[in-house]
Amino acid sequence: MGTKKAKSKPSFNGNRPRNGAGARKNHVGADAFVRPVARSATASPNADLRTYSIPDYRLEHPDFTVRQVTEKDKYGHDHVRFEVEGNLDAPVPPIRDSKYLDQRQAIEIYRWMLLNRKMETALENLYKQGKVVGGVYFGLGQEACSCASAYALDQDDWFAPMIRNQGSMLVRGFGARDIMMQYMAKADSPTKGRDATAHFGDIEKRNMVSPISMLGDLIPVMAGVALGARLQGRNLAVMTYIGDGGQSTGVTYEGINFAAVQNLGLVLFVESNLWAYSTPSEMQYRCQDLAERAIGYGIPGLIVDGTDACQVYDAAHEAVERAHRGEGPTMIEAKMMRMKGHAIHDAAAYVPKPMFEFWKKRDPIARFESYLVREKKWLSGKEHAELIAEVERVIEEEREIAVNSPMPTPESAEGGVFCENGCHEIKPKYGMPKVKKGTAAYKATEAAVHLK
Amino acid sequence: MLLTYLEAIRQGIWEEMERDPTVFCLGEDIGIYGGAFKVTDGFIDRFGPERVIDTPIAESAIVGAAFGASLTGMRPVAEFQFMDFIGCAFNQISNMVAKTHYLWGAPAPLVLRGPSGGYVHGGPFHSQNPEMWFVHNPGLKVICPATPYDAKGLIKAAIRDNNPCIFFEHKYLYRRIKDEVPAEDYVVPIGKARVAREGNDLSIITYAAMVHTALEASEVLRNEIDLEILDLRTVAPLDREAIVETVKKTNKVIILHEHSRTGGLAGEIAAIINEEAFDSLDGPIVRIAGLDSAVPFSPPQEHHYLPKVEDVIREARRLKAY
Repeated sequence: MGTKKAKSKPSFNGNRPRNGAGARKNHVGADAFVRPVARSATASPNADLRTYSIPDYRLEHPDFTVRQVTEKDKYGHDHVRFEVEGNLDAPVPPIRDSKYLDQRQAIEIYRWMLLNRKMETALENLYKQGKVVGGVYFGLGQEACSCASAYALDQDDWFAPMIRNQGSMLVRGFGARDIMMQYMAKADSPTKGRDATAHFGDIEKRNMVSPISMLGDLIPVMAGVALGARLQGRNLAVMTYIGDGGQSTGVTYEGINFAAVQNLGLVLFVESNLWAYSTPSEMQYRCQDLAERAIGYGIPGLIVDGTDACQVYDAAHEAVERAHRGEGPTMIEAKMMRMKGHAIHDAAAYVPKPMFEFWKKRDPIARFESYLVREKKWLSGKEHAELIAEVERVIEEEREIAVNSPMPTPESAEGGVFCENGCHEIKPKYGMPKVKKGTAAYKATEAAVHLK
Repeated sequence: MLLTYLEAIRQGIWEEMERDPTVFCLGEDIGIYGGAFKVTDGFIDRFGPERVIDTPIAESAIVGAAFGASLTGMRPVAEFQFMDFIGCAFNQISNMVAKTHYLWGAPAPLVLRGPSGGYVHGGPFHSQNPEMWFVHNPGLKVICPATPYDAKGLIKAAIRDNNPCIFFEHKYLYRRIKDEVPAEDYVVPIGKARVAREGNDLSIITYAAMVHTALEASEVLRNEIDLEILDLRTVAPLDREAIVETVKKTNKVIILHEHSRTGGLAGEIAAIINEEAFDSLDGPIVRIAGLDSAVPFSPPQEHHYLPKVEDVIREARRLKAY
C-alpha cells in the first residue's frame, strides 16, 4: 500500500501518504481504506520520533492570547473580564498571490464578498425597522472565507453552510432575497416561514444541505453525501464549516473520523474566528492551532489567513481537487475574527477592544479592494465604483422583493411532516449504482449470538 | 416457508438489496462478522464491502452518514448494535433527520434498525425499549413488529418508504418464534394495526413481544374471558381507527407495553380513546407496563420489572369484573 512507495510524490501536507497520495486507483470500496503496514512516514529518519508538518499559507502569524483577569472596582468588588496580551501592532500583511485565480475570478469573488456584506447591512437595517423576526447573524470579517471557499466548488459538488456563511450561499446561487425572506419569516422564503436565517437547503439544483442549530452534525451528513455519490460512481467534494467553538462537539470528531476512515471528499473549513458567542478560543481547545487536529485524524490539515480571499481559495481549490481524485478529506483552518457579537442583540462588550482594532485593519474586503484596485490594477477606480453601485442595486431590488412577500397563513404551519402522496420521487442523483455481486448465495444463519 | 423472526428480517433486507441497488447497509460489525445478532451474516460476501459497511463506533456519524447518503437518492439501512445506543445519535435523529422534510422539503428515505427489548438479562444498557423517544418526534415512523411475517413485510415497507423509519426488532423474539412466511414478495403497510386474536369481552392493545404475552394470557383465560388482542405493529403513526374500533367492540381495554409506565405509549392511547371512544367505555382504561426505573440486570429483578402473563391475567380478571 501507500508507504511502500516511499519515492512517490509527497502528499498534500508532506507527511500523509496513508489517505492522501497513497490512496488507490479504485477508491470505491474496501481497498480505499486499508491502512498501510508502516503507520507513519515521518520526516525524520529516526523511527522513534515522528514529526508532522501543518502547512501554513499565512503571511503573518498573529501572536496574542486572551485570558480572564479579575479586577477590583472602586468599591473593592471583584469583576472578571477578558484581557488580550501580545503583539497587536503588527503591520497588515499583503494579500498572497493566488496560484490559481485569474483576474476575472478574483473580481467575481470580490463581488460576492461585497454582496455578502451589503446584504448583511441591509438585514441590519431591516432589523432596525422591525421587519426581522428574531435576530440577525453576521459574517462580518469572514466574507473572504465564506465566498472564496464556496467559489472553489464545482456545480455538482455539495456544501452546507453554518450560520455565518451567508456569502457561501450567494456564491452557490441563492438570492439575497432568499436569505432576507428567511429572516423576515415570509411565506415565499425557502422554508416558507418554517425556519429562519441560513437554515434551508436545496438537494435538486444547488446541492446545499440545510444546517441545524446544533453544531457539528453537518460533518457526518456531508460525509454521507459523499458516500452516497461514491456508491453512484462519483467522487464529489462536500464542503462544510465548523467554528472554533463548534469543533468542541463530539459529533465533529465522529464526522471527521468517519470521512477519514471511508476516505470521503470532505472539505472542512474550521473557521477560527476567536469567539464562540462570548467564549474565547483559549477556552475551547488547548493545542496551538486547530489544524493540528488533522494529524490525529490521519488527514491533511493546513492553515490559511481567513481574511485573505486568495489563500482561502487556493486551499479550498486544492482540497476540492483532492476530493475529486478520491483522495479523501482535508481540514483547512481559516484564522480570522468574528467582527460583531454572536447575533445582533450582542454588542460583544466582552471582546477586548484592541482585538477589534487589530482585525479591523485586516478587513477582508478592504484588503482585497486594495489588492485588486491599487496593487494589481485589475479594477480601475471607475470600474470599482460601478461594481459597488451594481451590487447596491441588486441588494435594493432583492430587499424590495423580500419585504413585499406576504407572511405565511397560520394554517401553513400544517402538513409536510412526511414525504407522502408522491411529493418526491426518490432516485439516485448521479445514476443507478453499478452492483457487483458476489457468488455467495443466501443462507440461513444459526450462529451464536450475543444475548439469547 | 417457516422462518424465525430474525431470519425474516434478514430475508427482507437481503431481498431489498437484490431488488434495489440504492439500498445499502452500514453499522458496527455488520460486515465480515455479520452483526452482533447475525442479521447481516453473509451479506458482505454477496453485496460487497461497498454496500455492507463496517463503521467506527460512532452512532451520530452512522445516522448522519445515512442521512447524507439518502439526500443523494440512496436508501441506507443503518444498524444499531443495540437500540439502547440510539441515544448516542439522538440529536442527529431528532433535529436533523426528523425535521428535514417539514423544514426544507428534503425527503430522507432511511431505515434505522436494531435489537431492543428485555427478557434476555441484557442489563440496563442492552434491554431498553426506547421507541417513545421517537414517537414524540414528528417526522419519524416507528415500527415494532411482533411476528416473522410482519417483520419481513414491514422491513421491506420501511426500506421502500420515503421517510425515516426506525425499526425496533425485539431481540427476545429473534429466534424464539417461527411463522409461515410467503416466498413471494410482499409488504405490510406501515401504520396499520392487526387483530392478533379476535374476542368480545375485553381488548388488549399492545405490540412487539407483548403480543405474545397477551396471547399466552388469552389461552389461559380462554374459557373465562374472550380477549381481543390488537397488535399495533407501528407505534408512529398510530392506527387510531383500529384502536377506536376494538374499544367500541369490547368496551373494556388494557394497554400493555414493555417500556416504563410514565410517559409511555399507554398514556397516548388512553388519550385517543378518551377523545374518540369515551362513550364506549364500560370500565377504566388499564395500563400494564414496565416499572419506572432502568431495566435491572439480575433475572429475578428483571422478571419483576417486566410485564408478565400473570399481570395480564390478573388485570383482565379485575377489569372483566368491573
